[in-house]
Parts: sequence; C-alpha cells; structure tokens
Amino acid sequence: MPQNETIQGLDLDEYKYDFVTETEPVYRAQRGLSEEVVRQISAHKEEPEWMLDFRLKALAVYESKPMPKWGGDLDGLENVLDEIYFYVRPQDRMQHSWDDVPDEIKDTFEKLGIPEAEREVLAGVGAQYESEMVYHSLREEWEKQGVIFDSIEDGLKNHPELFREHFGTIIPTADNKFSAMNSAVWSGGSFVYIPKGVSLDTPLQAYFRVNQERMGQFERTLIIVDEGAQAHYIEGCTAPVYSTESFHSGVIEIVVKKNARFRYTTIQNWSNNMYNLVTQRAIVEEGAHMEWLDGNLGSKLTMKYPSCYLMGEGAHGEILSIAYSGDGQHQDTGGKVIHAAPHTTSSIVSKSISKGHGRSTYRGLLKVHEGAHHARSNVECDALLINDTSRTDTYPYIEIEENDANVGHEASVSRIGEEQLFYLTSRGIAEDEAMAMIVRGFIEPIAKELPLEYAVELNRLIELEMEGSVG
Amino acid sequence: MADMATTESVTAEGVTEVFNAAAVKRLSTGEPEWLRECREHAWSVYERTPMPNTRLEEWRYTDLNKVLQLASLRLAEVEVAPGESSAWPARLHETMKQDREASGHIVLIDGHVVHTDIDPALAEQGVILDSLHDALGLYPELVKEHLGRVVPAEDGKLEALNMALWADGIFVYVPSTVRLELPIRVTRWISQSGAAYFSRVLIVADAQSQVSYVEEVISDDFNAQTLKSSAVELVAGDGAVLQYVTVQRAGCGVFVHSAQRTLAERDARIDTLNVGLGGSVHRVDLNAKLLGPGANSEMLGLYFGDGDQHFDFNTSQDHTEPNTGSDLLYKGALDGVSRAVFRGIIRVLPGAQRTDAYQTNRNLLLSSGARADSLPNLEIEADDVKCSHGATIGELDTEAKFYLMSRGLDRVQAERLVVLGFLGEVLSRLPLGGVIEKVTGAIEEKLSQPG
Repeated sequence: MPQNETIQGLDLDEYKYDFVTETEPVYRAQRGLSEEVVRQISAHKEEPEWMLDFRLKALAVYESKPMPKWGGDLDGLENVLDEIYFYVRPQDRMQHSWDDVPDEIKDTFEKLGIPEAEREVLAGVGAQYESEMVYHSLREEWEKQGVIFDSIEDGLKNHPELFREHFGTIIPTADNKFSAMNSAVWSGGSFVYIPKGVSLDTPLQAYFRVNQERMGQFERTLIIVDEGAQAHYIEGCTAPVYSTESFHSGVIEIVVKKNARFRYTTIQNWSNNMYNLVTQRAIVEEGAHMEWLDGNLGSKLTMKYPSCYLMGEGAHGEILSIAYSGDGQHQDTGGKVIHAAPHTTSSIVSKSISKGHGRSTYRGLLKVHEGAHHARSNVECDALLINDTSRTDTYPYIEIEENDANVGHEASVSRIGEEQLFYLTSRGIAEDEAMAMIVRGFIEPIAKELPLEYAVELNRLIELEMEGSVG
Repeated sequence: MADMATTESVTAEGVTEVFNAAAVKRLSTGEPEWLRECREHAWSVYERTPMPNTRLEEWRYTDLNKVLQLASLRLAEVEVAPGESSAWPARLHETMKQDREASGHIVLIDGHVVHTDIDPALAEQGVILDSLHDALGLYPELVKEHLGRVVPAEDGKLEALNMALWADGIFVYVPSTVRLELPIRVTRWISQSGAAYFSRVLIVADAQSQVSYVEEVISDDFNAQTLKSSAVELVAGDGAVLQYVTVQRAGCGVFVHSAQRTLAERDARIDTLNVGLGGSVHRVDLNAKLLGPGANSEMLGLYFGDGDQHFDFNTSQDHTEPNTGSDLLYKGALDGVSRAVFRGIIRVLPGAQRTDAYQTNRNLLLSSGARADSLPNLEIEADDVKCSHGATIGELDTEAKFYLMSRGLDRVQAERLVVLGFLGEVLSRLPLGGVIEKVTGAIEEKLSQPG
C-alpha cells in the first residue's frame, strides 16, 4: 500500500470504478423532467397505451408531492434534477450474446469483471448501461425449467399478463415522491419469474452502470418467486466520479409466494457524486422467507429502507444492512418490517461505520398490526465511529397494536477501543492494520453472508479506508 | 410528507373566548413590567404558532386537534379555594397523611397555594419555599433570573400558552452548600370540571446544595375535559443535587401537559421521575441539558394505563460538554384499550467526548386492545462516547406468572406481582421516602379495578 499519502487521496485513487467510456448513445432525451420526456420514453419502448397512461399519472403524482423534509439533505436536488438526463438509450436493442454488445460498452463491463463472473458461478447475468439493459442472459438449464430473467421492458412485451398482475401493486405510484418519479420515467431493470418449486442453486446477477455525466438512472425491477421456489438475486452499482451530481432512483417490487425463499443482495458502490433514492419492498406470503442484504458503500446520499410486508401466517423477513460513510457521504438506510399475520417473525441487523466527516443514519420501522399475534421481532443496530468528526444517528419507529407479540430493539454506538488497539499493536500489528482488523470483526456477521467476490472487495475497501485513519 | 403551507397561513389558532389577549392583560394586572412583557411576548408566540399536528415528528402519535378541546375550556376560577385545612376535601387529607417526614409542604387547591410550611432551621439558612406569586414580590431578582428562561414560550404552542396564562406556581430556592435531608412535598388538588389550570414550578439549587421535591396531583373524575398545564424549570448549579418526582393521579377527563427542562451545570446531578397513572391524556415534554463537565441526569418514568388512557412521553438528552452522563429508563404497563407513546432522543454534540448516555423504554401489553409505540433515537456527533438504547414491547412474562401460580397464587395475584415487579425497577432507582409505597399502592388499586 502506498505510504505517506492522505486518506482523502487514497479514497479517490482507489475508487477503481472511476473510468469513463467514450460511447455515443443512439438517443438522448433533453435534460430535465417533463411530459414530453415521459412520452418519448414510452414511445421509444413501443409501450402499450396503459403504460403511457400509468407514466403520465405518475408524473402528476410526482409533481404534487413535496420534497421530503426528513432523511438526508435534499436542498440542492431540485437544481440537480433540472440538469440531468432522464433517458439515455445506449443501443438499439438488447443483446443476449455477449459478442454482440458494442465494444466500448463491453469494455466497461469487462473492467467490472462481468463475463468472468458469469462463467464461474452465476445462473444468469444482466447488465444495464445508462437507461437500458444492454445484455441479459440466462443459463439454458434454468430457461428450460421456465425461469424468466429478462429486462423489465421485455417482461412487459413477452409476459404482459404476469407483468400487469403485479407491476405497481407492491409499491404504488403514490408511495413516495421518488416512487412516483420512477413510475413516470422508469427504464431498465429486471423482470424475474421463478416457477413453482424451482430452486436456483446459483444467483442471478444484475450490474448497473452509469457512465455519462449528469445521468439519471431509473431502474425498475419486478420479481415473482412462485410457491416453494428459491432464488438469490444480486445487484451491483458503480459510476465514474464527476464534479456534478448524478441521480439514481430505483423501484424494486418483489412477491415471495407461499413457502418460497428469496434473497436480494445489493452492493451499492456508486461514486460519491450520486444521489441514490430507492424504494424496495417485498410481499411475503404464508410460510415464505425473504432476506434483504443491503450494502451501501458509495454515493453522496443514499435513502433506502428495504421492507418486508409479512402478509401470510408464519412468514419471515430479514434485513441485514451494512453502511459505510466517508467524507461527504450520508448513508440514510435501514429497513421496515410490517407484521400483518400471526406467527410472523423478523429480524433487522444493521452495522454502520462512519469515518472522517461521514454520517450514517439508521432509520427503521417495525410494525405489528392488530391480529398479528405471536409476532416476534428483533432489531439490532451498531454504529462504529472512526473520527471525532464522524456522525451517526438511529431513528427506529416501533408500533405495536397486538399484545401477544414480542419485539425488541437495541442500538449501540462505539469507537474503536484504545484497549483493543493497544492489545493488537503490542502484538506487533501495525496500527492501520489493527484498525482494519477491528472493523472487519465489527462487520463480520454481515460480511460472511456476502457472495465471496464482494466479501473480498469489502475487506479490501476497509483496509484502504483504515489506512492513515489513526490519530 | 407534511404540507406545511396550510398550517402556516392560519394565524391565531387556538384563540378562544377564554384564551385571548384580554385574559393575558387581566392576569398581568399589578405584575412587574418585565413579567407583563414576558406574558405578552408569550401570547404573541402562541398566536403565531400553529397548533401542533401529527405531521410534526414530536406529535406523530398524539393528535392534539382531536384530543384537546381548547374551545370548550374556561379558565379556572380564582379565589374559591379554602385556606382553612378543615374545609379541604377528604381525599386531599388522606393523600397528605401518607406522606412521611418532609422539609416542608405546599398544598395547592385549584391552582392556588393554600398552605406552605418549611422547617424553620432551613428557612434560617435561606431556603425558600413559596408560591410563585408571593415569591415575585419577595424575591424578584431570584425569580426573574430563571422564570420563563428555562422553559421559554418558544418551546411550543402549549408552552407559550402556559407562560402567557399561568396563575400561580411554586418557587423553591436552596442556597449554596445547604443540603435538605428530607423531601419537599407538594400536593395539588383540582376540582373544577371543564377548567384550564396553568401553573409553573421553578426550583433553583445553588452550587453544592441538595434538594428533593415530590409532587402529587389528585382530582375526582370529571365529565368535561379539564386541562392541567405545567411548566417545570429545574436548575442545578455546580455540584448541586436536585431530585424531582411527580406522581400524576388525576381523575378521568383530565388532559395533563407537563413541559419540563433540567439544566445541570458542572458536576451537578438532576434526577427526574414522572409517574403517570391517572388522567385521560398525559403528555410530558422533558429535555435534560447537561451543561458542564461531570453533569449527570437520571431520567425515570413509570406509567400504567387502563380504559382508554393515552400517555405520550417525549424526552431528549442533550450532551453539549465533555464528560457528562445521562441514563433514561421509562417503563409502562398497558391494559384495556390504553395506549403509550415513548419518543426519546440522545443528542451528543461535536466535542462532547466521553459522554455516557443510555435510554431504555420497556412496555408490557396486558390486553389485546392496548397499544404501544416506541421511538428511541440517537444523534451522535462525537466518537469517544458510550451510547446505547433499547426498547421492548411484549406481553406478560408467562413463565414468571406460572411459577408464581405453582406456588399457590391465583392468576390475578400472580399477574399483579409480575406487573409490580416489572414496574418496580423504576421506583427502586430513585428511592425517596414514601414514593415507592405510594406509587405501588396506586398501581395495585388500578390492577384491582374490574375491566
């Protein structure tokens, strides 16, 4: 590791996704959000009439809702939104063979390691570049069993009934300002269907890449896991560093049907000029099991609270959240669990690390509705502060309407103990390395759940970030 | 999200035939100039502050516009309270009889101080225990220094109304190094159904002094909503110890609002205990400020709800200096269709290193209609701190209950013991003479009521 360098310098140098690819999009809408832009998006996608109506209604809802006053600092956002491109179409049509993807775009994903990863472990791979999926593939064995893993646009085209049955029903347009915005301008994202009883033994993975400056990306993902099925979906996000802000606002809707199991993993590593405002929600039916593994390492501001609606008896929801906030970053993350049926169980574990002027906020809701008897839930939030300029907040909401329920919430804030450091350094371990070891130990319960490549990546990041952070 | 535009445009919300500028003017007749200005200022704040609604985070679970009928209230009538103790209601005598030894007593009937006594030895050392009204005349400088500065009108709509319309209150002053071994005991009786009572408590403990204050509020049940609003200002100088206990046993129909702030200077300690048993709605806004290194605060709360009682505790722990501590424990049991809200926040400001701050809220839901909401928050901007919070909501410990039943207790007795054990933890943390027995007795009384 380089010596005598400031940690700030290292941060920038070592954000290895900071490269720009020279590409010429086939179409780019004008800047800012307007009815015209919404109509253009719909026309380019050759959508049915009902979807255009859906988008236009959503635009009206978006415009009627005020900017949230809670969470992160959104003061500058309106100006940013006036300047960004809401729709940039990178190529004419999506490819199913890697060889057909344009060389420059392929290059980008080669650098991110996609074909390599695909060959090794994945059941399917999707890649989004700017506003659209440029590549989607699924292993033949799964296709034969009826698994659908496609771009959201192809989901609408090829499976209109299944699509319409669920689209916009899990996260209604009016849920919040940004779900309304996404509903108006959504573009890209995955459509996934796992048939009854089918169990994918390796994950599906989607990569999201923002390449150009002043870009807005609005992925929309709909996942239906049918009865008794099992699957794991992973998304990763990166972008180059620009001096202007970019914007990403996704809506992820998931249905986990009776006795199915599903895990959704996010490794968000956007560059530090990205606003990342995402709505993610899963409906969990009887005996089903939903897990969100949410890793937020990048972005300028992230506001994201994956949620589980436990609608059927015995449903289980789990949220594992890990956040890292360095200088200029605010991770306002957490999770929500709604217990709406008897014998439902849930757990939220959140770990955050704030360094320099970074700020990590846990915000969560735990609700037990009347009649959801024998609900059990536990929430644990631990925050680690590295410097005296770092900040952490914890805002849990616990609402219980059922007496035959047991819920608990615990949170603690600490810094790296001098005794711990002293012990390790007295064993001949350098201070930076000792810091990294302690941080790794702190996040281990979550890191061990990550796919190996990401766990390795996370460890490397921690080592770099702890370099020079002592004192 | 909240659409604030509509509420901001409404002016003079909550101005009624009773609560208006003329009432403020009438109350301030004969008062010193500074106080008149103070009331007028508070009134102007009241007029321009919108009525809190559930879009405000602090009022998310208590809809004032639904639960407070300001328009139907009248101001409590003055000078109807009997000064002679023989004319006091029997329940007031009974309550006072339970009190043990004291450094002094104050009795208020319908918002007015009707009795004051203090240990002459303490009076000689300069300890003051008086009605706020009298203290204004006797110790104007002492009162002026703090009154309305600890809990200012700007704190909120209800705080402003209290400052504008307070009728009387209590003033306690303990000079430097004087230590009161026994508590000051205060008993309040209210009797006017449909009335609004505004009172203030100001306690100033100078450097290295010590004082404890135990207050009990009692009333009959009322048919009409009755408002009991109080502002409690607690100031502890360097190294002083101040303990404040308030036991709320008002009757049905009473809306209790208590705005409390504690200011603890270097090495000072201020402990508070809020006990909520009676009333229809009971809201406490408590802010503890740890202002000097070594300052500490223990913040305790206990509530037992039944029927359709509604409790709402809104607390904050502000650590602005290094080496300060605070420890909060609020526990409650809820029966019937009662409801409790706890919203607490620990704020550690930049530079407040070596802060130890804790916050715990635990709720027992005893019936299927009961409901609890808990929001324990942390905002931490210093790294060398020990901060944690915890909240639990759950049902009665069935194992403990069955254990007790296996030892021969019937179900009702066993449940009663488990609840008392659960709540008793709070009382044992501030063992002031008579408080444990008094509160335990009141809870037992509630537990034995049918339904």
